[in-house]
Amino acid sequence: MLFALGTMLAVLLTAASDTEETQRPAARPVQRPKSELEKAAEEFRVQTRNLGLRPDSPARSKRSGNGGLNFHGRLFHNLRNDFFDAVPHEVFQRGGSKGLLRRNQFGFNLTGPVVIPRLFHGGKATYFSVTYEGMREKMGRSYLRTIPTLRERSGEWAHVVDQAGQTLPIYDPQTTSTNPNFNPAQPVSTNNLQHPRLPFPENRIPAARLDRTAQQAVALYPAPNSDAGPFFRNNYFIFAPEQNRADGVNARVDHTASDRNRLGFGLTWSNGVDQPAPWFPNEANPGSPARERRTRRGTVEHVFTLSPRTVNTLTLDASTDQYENPPAEGASQPFPRYSFEPYLSMGRSYPVSKNSRTTFIVTDGVSTRWREHRLRLVVQGIRERVNTFWPQYPSGSFRFSAGYTSLPGIVNTGHAFASFLLGAPEYAERSVVISPSYFRRNRGAIILRDQWEIRKGLTLNLGLNIDGSTPRVERYDRQSTVALDRINPVNGRPGALVVANRDGLGRAFQPVLVKPEPSASLAWNVLGSARTVVRAGYSRSYSYIPVYFAQWGTQAFNGAPTWVSENPQLLPALILQDGFPPSRTFPDMRPESANDTIADLIEPTGRQPTYQSASLSLERELRGQIVVTAGFGHSEGRNLLLSNSGSNPNAIPLSALTYRDRLNDLNFNRSLRPYPQYQKFDVYSSWPEGRYQRDAGYCRVEKRTSGGLTLSAYYEFSKQMDNYSGPYGVQDYYNRGNEWSLTSSNNPHRFTLTYMYELPLGASKLFLTMTDWRRHLVGGWSISGQTTMASGEPVALRPQFNNTGGVVDALHVNQVPGVDPAVAKRGPELWFNPEAFAQPPDFTIGAVARTHPNLRMPSSQNHDLSVTKRVAVTSERSVEFSMVGLNFVNHAVWTDPDTVIGPASAPNVNAGKIIGSRGQRIIQLGLKFNF
Amino acid sequence: MVTRRLFIPALSAGLLQAAKTPEVSRRILRIPFWIGEGATLVQAPVAKVNGGPAKVLQVLDSAGDLMVLLILDLAGDLAQVEPAREALITNVQSLQENAWIGLMRSQDGLTALLDPTAERAPVVDRIRELSISGRAGLLDTVETALGLADKIAAKSRVRLAVLYVSDSDIRNYRDDYTNPVINHSDAGDMSRRFPEGIVKEKIARLLARVSTYESPLFIVHLDYRSDTLNNAYQTGLLELANTTGGSAAFCRSNAEIPEAISAMFQTVASHRVAIIQPATGLRNQADIELEAEGRELKYRTRLQLRR
Repeated sequence: MLFALGTMLAVLLTAASDTEETQRPAARPVQRPKSELEKAAEEFRVQTRNLGLRPDSPARSKRSGNGGLNFHGRLFHNLRNDFFDAVPHEVFQRGGSKGLLRRNQFGFNLTGPVVIPRLFHGGKATYFSVTYEGMREKMGRSYLRTIPTLRERSGEWAHVVDQAGQTLPIYDPQTTSTNPNFNPAQPVSTNNLQHPRLPFPENRIPAARLDRTAQQAVALYPAPNSDAGPFFRNNYFIFAPEQNRADGVNARVDHTASDRNRLGFGLTWSNGVDQPAPWFPNEANPGSPARERRTRRGTVEHVFTLSPRTVNTLTLDASTDQYENPPAEGASQPFPRYSFEPYLSMGRSYPVSKNSRTTFIVTDGVSTRWREHRLRLVVQGIRERVNTFWPQYPSGSFRFSAGYTSLPGIVNTGHAFASFLLGAPEYAERSVVISPSYFRRNRGAIILRDQWEIRKGLTLNLGLNIDGSTPRVERYDRQSTVALDRINPVNGRPGALVVANRDGLGRAFQPVLVKPEPSASLAWNVLGSARTVVRAGYSRSYSYIPVYFAQWGTQAFNGAPTWVSENPQLLPALILQDGFPPSRTFPDMRPESANDTIADLIEPTGRQPTYQSASLSLERELRGQIVVTAGFGHSEGRNLLLSNSGSNPNAIPLSALTYRDRLNDLNFNRSLRPYPQYQKFDVYSSWPEGRYQRDAGYCRVEKRTSGGLTLSAYYEFSKQMDNYSGPYGVQDYYNRGNEWSLTSSNNPHRFTLTYMYELPLGASKLFLTMTDWRRHLVGGWSISGQTTMASGEPVALRPQFNNTGGVVDALHVNQVPGVDPAVAKRGPELWFNPEAFAQPPDFTIGAVARTHPNLRMPSSQNHDLSVTKRVAVTSERSVEFSMVGLNFVNHAVWTDPDTVIGPASAPNVNAGKIIGSRGQRIIQLGLKFNF
Repeated sequence: MVTRRLFIPALSAGLLQAAKTPEVSRRILRIPFWIGEGATLVQAPVAKVNGGPAKVLQVLDSAGDLMVLLILDLAGDLAQVEPAREALITNVQSLQENAWIGLMRSQDGLTALLDPTAERAPVVDRIRELSISGRAGLLDTVETALGLADKIAAKSRVRLAVLYVSDSDIRNYRDDYTNPVINHSDAGDMSRRFPEGIVKEKIARLLARVSTYESPLFIVHLDYRSDTLNNAYQTGLLELANTTGGSAAFCRSNAEIPEAISAMFQTVASHRVAIIQPATGLRNQADIELEAEGRELKYRTRLQLRR
């Protein structure tokens, strides 16, 4: 029975099988079993299709499931509060406390495919990234200053004393007479007065004598609110918040049109306002003006792949940076600046200004490969527009001195504020800007690069840039300068004002410049090992002459008429209540119109700063992914652009010092200048006279580990010399070789340690490998830090007095023979030996270099640290807490020693001493949600 | 005091709760390992998982079938790409016959260029044809690639390896890992003092996920970079590769590129896979020990388990 059933079942199954086979194509061969590799390949096809990784994948799967195409980003908030910070050392040493600080920085980033519901899904092809960041900041600022007492403001000076506590007499200039018995062979003294003068009765200026304009201004002075003293000094305590804010967006879109075409768009938008702490609650505020900054930038990039070995990249970039000092609220016109030291002045410079720089850049680069050469050609064009409205003192600046209310020739008499009350400045100027300046400049470059693999392990890079630039022009040709080769019609000497696009001149005062910039470098794997690389390089380059935010070089159209007292002790420059006397009107294009002024001078040859550098290094990878690099670099530059403190084409030669006291005669002094018709030249950081040379040896050790540690240590020993740098300026403008000394910012020894470490705690790590809830506590910690140590800069010494009749701007000191400038044990009590130096005798120059060759300022060190704790919320989301500490060990760095050397008769008692230290730990806390 | 009374029982309860975390079911693990150059394995290694015994079901030998998912992430400098192309072609051609290459591209998202094949000519052709423009994509695609490799490995007994050849710069990603300054007027900004934070966070998140995949990841980066952002990035790549049992190499000169690619191909070709089954169930992670008598083994020591 069972057999029969089995036979029937077998027949039925066979029949069914036959039926199936008859339904199959007759030609199909018998399949062999798939190999494991074939199975794997089949699975590859299935999975890549499902994941949307193939051209034939369903559209839906192409949009998702491919890593990185979902929306993600971060939300963040960073917080700073004075509670977390240390008291600055310099404040702590004076018994002070921390100032208020509230700072919040916040924003978000979102990235993902561009999706317009029902219209467009970017998928892999179109991707965006947008970041917003905002900042709100409030910082308490405190200052202690001296302002006139209420009685002083009304002219009552009986209570006013000098620094020694003696009554300060205020003299009446209307009582000035000439002493017929004056003996010019003797110095002026109370017994030998040239211009006797009587003090005001009861040391009180009569109300009728007070200047009306001065009285109106004085009404805006706040009342004294402190009595820190002594002698009514330090009577105004300012505690006001500085408030800053900023908002910005950075957005990007990438679109892959095809395998060969890719487009990128970028946009940056930012608005910022810096509102410094107000010193006065009205328009007479002498504090810095509010400043608004606006940044806009847009970029378009198109990458076209011509072939696997040739790629073309076209980039269009437009950006604008705008800075504006807006007018104070409620003020119809800016308040003038009145300065009368030692009291806090009124008004400020640049109360209203607006500057913008717009740059358009078009760049096209082609990269290709030809045999052993990788070639790159880049063509770039740049259009630069600088619009500037930059009047320094649109309502005038008035400087008052004690001289007009003093007993002429007798120190410690009179007062600058008393002179102000009488409306008698010693100097006045007013900025006249009839129009903003619209500067334009074009630049271009052709860049050729050849990376040539000469043989295995030896690659040579050759480069040649052809740089060209047009000089600065003004849209309406409102530019002027002094032409040093033209004769001044007034005195017949060289030097006359010329105007762009007039009298046969071009629109610019400098030529079009085209310069070749060659470079060469090689990478050579020596010893037949790719782990050892010798690199060598040489380059020569030029930098452009910048177009500054300033209306320098437009003196025929915008000027600053000045009024200078011929003798501040006897005559004022003008009378305040009478206003400005008539002055030249603008535009004034006469050749002599810049006479008797500080004349704008544009260097006519357009010499560009030129740089050369050469380097040699040896790089070796050791076991354990340690890379050691040792190298040497040499660089030098000439024609570096110098400012007015480093360059003075109208300086009096030092040989004139033999005239001694005659140099104090202003007219005689002027006559010694190469261009006596001008007070000075203003070269505005554009005079190409600087030179430097730097040699440095260095060693770098880098280490990376799979445990998440990155370590980099860098040490450098360098020596840099130049002929211009320093805090005080140059002594001899005509013999630059005499100024060749250490660069004022040169730190010969510099060590930097940088580290990043993902702490080996938690799941997948070495220690505390907890996988339960405790992993949230122990895992996810990382640190980053940087430690920098540097030796000090060279000491720059300065004599206390400069009695050279105005010939020398920055006088050096003399060395005392046989006295060692170094001290056995350096410390704050004595850092160097001031007795090794001396004040030069009158009308002589100092012999010690601008920066001392051996003496160094105190060394410095800084330690910054960031600690981050990350908590995973899900596999895609995490929360991150961070703490960034600048100078987190709160290390104090000594301040620089007093470098002023006094004369033997009155030595500077603080010379060589350090009076404190500086530094502060600053903490920022952060919270970030990543998704 | 009250706080203390509450805190201690709460902490105890928490610790007890942690100890009671339920175990997941037993599973089979694929562990890549290497023995010394030229050495052979006489017998299967002995395995332990989380200190307990584990059965070695099979060892896929270095002479056995191999599938390499070769992923090109090239969007930068032609000067580096060309020697890389040549080195890849040389090494692909010299691979053993039973090594199949599947070619993919990671710029602008992972894309399959060529299905795995034993033939060398199409692979060579596609490598030569590959354009190098686009955005870097290694960080965005590595998880997908490893997941793909794991799925293939689950269906076949072949050695699977994911090999990236990349010249990626962290600045060239579509995502914003560089955190550029947006408000130039913000003079007190401290948030960019250590700009590598976003890169490290991305790597940390990726590490947590990548550590759950079994296929080894190999990376040859054509350009060793030392700036802060790329330092963090490349250290992260090193971590990613090592976490999966693979390795990463970074070339400091063009001359190093052929050598590094060749060495990486040898590493890939010489890897073995131990397929092991723990005697007991696993929870959260598996700490692996492999021993072979008389042989020093290099192997992946830890695998996180998917929750």
